[in-house]
Amino acid sequence: MRFDRRQTLRLMAAGTLAAGLPRGASAQAEEFRVGALCPVTGAGATFGAGMQKTIIATAARINAAGGAAGRTFRVFADDDQTQPQAGVLAAKKLLEVNRVQAILGTWSSGVSLAVIPLTNEAGAILMNTSGAPALSVPPANAKHLSYRFQATNDRFGRAFAQIAAREGFKRPATMAFNNASGIGNTEGFAKAWKAQGGSLTKAVVYEPNQPSYRSELQSVLDTKPDVIVMGSYVADTAIILREWYQTGATTKFILPDWAVNASTIASLGEDVLSNCITVESVANEGSPAFADFDALYRKEMGAPGRGNNYAAMAYDMMVLLALAVEAAGPGADVAAINARIIPLSGPDGEVVSSFAQGRDALKAGRTINYDGASSVLDLDQYGDVTPDFGAYKFNGKSFERKYIVKI
Amino acid sequence: MEAYLLAIAIFVAIFTLLTLGLNLQYGLTGLTNFGLVGFFGIGAYASAILTTHGYPVVAGFAAGAALAVIAAWPIGLVALRLRDDYFAIATLGLSEVVRVAIISEKELTAGVQGIPGIPRLFAVLESRTWQPLLLLAVLVAANLGVVLVMRRIARSPFGRVIGAIRDNEEAVRALGKDPARFKTQVLMVGAGLSAVAGSFYAHYVGYVTPDQITPLVTFQIWMAMILGGTGRISGAVLGTLLLMLLIEGARFLPDLLPFVSSTAMAELRVFVVGLALVLFTVYRPQGLMGEVARR
Amino acid sequence: MLSLDLLVAGLISGLVIGLSALAVTLVFGVARFPNAATGDAMSLGAYAALAVAAGTGSLVAGGVAAVLAGILLNVILYLLVFRRLSDRSPIMSLLASIGAGFMIRSSLGLVYGQDPQAFRVPLARPLVLLDVRVQWLDLKLAGLTLATLAVVYLILAKTAAGRRMRAVSADPALARVSGIDPTRVMLTLWALAGGVSAVAGLVLGLKTVVTPDLGWNLLLPAFAAAVLGGIGSPLGAVAAGILLGIVQELATPFVGFTYKIAIAFAVLMLVLLIRPRGLFGRAEGAR
Repeated sequence: MRFDRRQTLRLMAAGTLAAGLPRGASAQAEEFRVGALCPVTGAGATFGAGMQKTIIATAARINAAGGAAGRTFRVFADDDQTQPQAGVLAAKKLLEVNRVQAILGTWSSGVSLAVIPLTNEAGAILMNTSGAPALSVPPANAKHLSYRFQATNDRFGRAFAQIAAREGFKRPATMAFNNASGIGNTEGFAKAWKAQGGSLTKAVVYEPNQPSYRSELQSVLDTKPDVIVMGSYVADTAIILREWYQTGATTKFILPDWAVNASTIASLGEDVLSNCITVESVANEGSPAFADFDALYRKEMGAPGRGNNYAAMAYDMMVLLALAVEAAGPGADVAAINARIIPLSGPDGEVVSSFAQGRDALKAGRTINYDGASSVLDLDQYGDVTPDFGAYKFNGKSFERKYIVKI
Repeated sequence: MEAYLLAIAIFVAIFTLLTLGLNLQYGLTGLTNFGLVGFFGIGAYASAILTTHGYPVVAGFAAGAALAVIAAWPIGLVALRLRDDYFAIATLGLSEVVRVAIISEKELTAGVQGIPGIPRLFAVLESRTWQPLLLLAVLVAANLGVVLVMRRIARSPFGRVIGAIRDNEEAVRALGKDPARFKTQVLMVGAGLSAVAGSFYAHYVGYVTPDQITPLVTFQIWMAMILGGTGRISGAVLGTLLLMLLIEGARFLPDLLPFVSSTAMAELRVFVVGLALVLFTVYRPQGLMGEVARR
Repeated sequence: MLSLDLLVAGLISGLVIGLSALAVTLVFGVARFPNAATGDAMSLGAYAALAVAAGTGSLVAGGVAAVLAGILLNVILYLLVFRRLSDRSPIMSLLASIGAGFMIRSSLGLVYGQDPQAFRVPLARPLVLLDVRVQWLDLKLAGLTLATLAVVYLILAKTAAGRRMRAVSADPALARVSGIDPTRVMLTLWALAGGVSAVAGLVLGLKTVVTPDLGWNLLLPAFAAAVLGGIGSPLGAVAAGILLGIVQELATPFVGFTYKIAIAFAVLMLVLLIRPRGLFGRAEGAR
């Protein structure tokens, strides 16, 4: 016990000393440092690894093409564990130790909301795929350093409502996974649906990680809806759909696309899935950018790029950032680079679909509009995208796009 | 680099408060409280709710601590009639009840959306170096204060009674002292301390969600205590630091070992923490600061 | 009518909770600590079944593989970790089991990834019995649960190994004096608990989807059911699991779905207040 206090003090002194050390050699001028902070584990794990590998591979490709404005990109990868606290520590490490000038790829709204004060403070750019509306506006985005490559929950909800109306449904109910995104989607739907003059028969929010959702499902089915709009994830969706089928009910479902994966599609089968419509923000599939991304994703992950729209967004983040670095010119600071991002995303200017193409056009002094793999981007003043949405139906083997809605 | 080290030091200092509280409860009194995170959550949310509604920071700290102490009292009365292992499970369950209540009472807590924009402490200091430094200094002072008080408690008559409860509850009862009363008091003090840690946490991270108050936090604090040494006040500090280094150190491995994928790295990090816990319980149950095993 | 359907739903979730509680209570009763790696043994069993069922096309072969994997895991855990902790505070064993659980879960994540995987079982519309919809799969799973319980009961009650186990559980010192080798007894016990965990994981995996967190997510309800049933009582564990399942399903329409887990613990606290040793627990002195 005698050493307690001294030991404690020594420890704290060490911390303070380290804090006072002179800064290390500053980042080389010709290098632009990027953090790839993705949900490699936790709830976002389905997408995180693919996003991260895409960012790294895209940066390597840009470097191989000669870099931007004389700079190459160096990517530092980290895992936010889909948790705010882990995200904060990882972001601090990326910003302070690796001295990154931009963080790309935060996925969950919770992580993005926790990380954004740090990037703002450091004057770094944040590019995320989170749905929470709060991310677009002050205080979160007071400095206009944050960009969102995914549609907000509200926009998803509007797309759900349009699809429900187009399919002729009259009595929708909603079921939401109890987290920000699940509830955001179904509430966004409810808002849009009511604005169209409709009403809901029931809105249920359920806790995740249960062996069964029978009572939740039953309480929804008791109100006799003709469609259930879901804000759900893979595991709970598989269980709910199975139990729904087993009740013998004939309701239809509208689901976000991330709520099914190859394994659950194979196990649920046609009898169940023929009653489901999935909705996703449409990747810009016909575009050369998407083809490029798809090839890269197949090489990195051994799977088609269509399966991970977030990786397509990550691809666009890296390309758009590199174009902004190019446009801002040699030696530009982050603020100057940041100012270029929204104009480069369109809608005005010559359409380009790859980094090399865009760089050459910029060098020739032309105004460009990068149309990405995940969407045409066209970031608005809040740094948000407004993609188109596709409605997909099951064709016996996979979900096939039937039509597109614009919101 | 320094800001990152500062961030780690601040997290260590916050969690050390929790570990010290656990040490008081388990190390000194033998209370198997597996519901720490519930009290931590009460503190974090009290601060988050009050300060985002314009109340001063002090009100958040005070309300959080008071609520946690009040919540601990009936829990103590009910739960202390249980055996150690039942008590562990009962408190584990209660912390889950706190989390579920926070999720469900949306009007107050914003539910799963969480509460963003919690003001920083000492935000008047605009500097990115001085603000965290001052915060760290305050946290270190708080920890030192707790350590001093705990050492005083350990040597006081009260401390001798709780130590006796830990070692032989029957004997204490035979002496005509009611162990439940002492246990309840210890539980309440520990709860208050956990809530204070929660308030610091909320102000530092700036954003609270129910996801942050899962039993995993409780388990990590238990790990920290075991790593450092049960019943050792210095162990609480060292154990928390060691755990944090284990968890955070893994962040640097990808820079050193680029051939290991980050997915694999994330799993390896969890694996290493688990392995450390198993190895310590088996080979060094007395922890780093080594007191002789009690039982 | 609605409540009858909910009753059936609660019964089925309760059987899953009950099975995992059975695995918890076996270890708890003899080794005297709540084994937090039980959930991860379940996940391992589910993955073993998934792998073998995908390879052979036979769910039965998958089930056998699951049981073997569960037994193997628990035997290894006992020999390497818990045997060495048997003379220390049970809290040490609990913490070691949390650590072991981390190791199992991260290993599963390393090998299989985090993406959910599903068993391919043919789906069928329900049977309607007396206005209540019942699933064939659920009936089979219920049968499997009861069979497991029966096997455990027979082993404990009718075999020499079972009698030794009960002797150690009742009084370890006396058992040792009577010439019972505690290591052998404990090995049998851990193997049995491992097999039961794996069956629980298989049933849960069939009902839901398989992720590395599969069993971990069910650990708290399983703990609650084991304590509620009375530690060391196999029948109590299953009965308490079913009770919790039913109460959760029936109560949630009134208090809201998010409070499900809270209900389980409220029931637990209530019962413990009235009957500190649980529903079926033996009266027993301090540890």
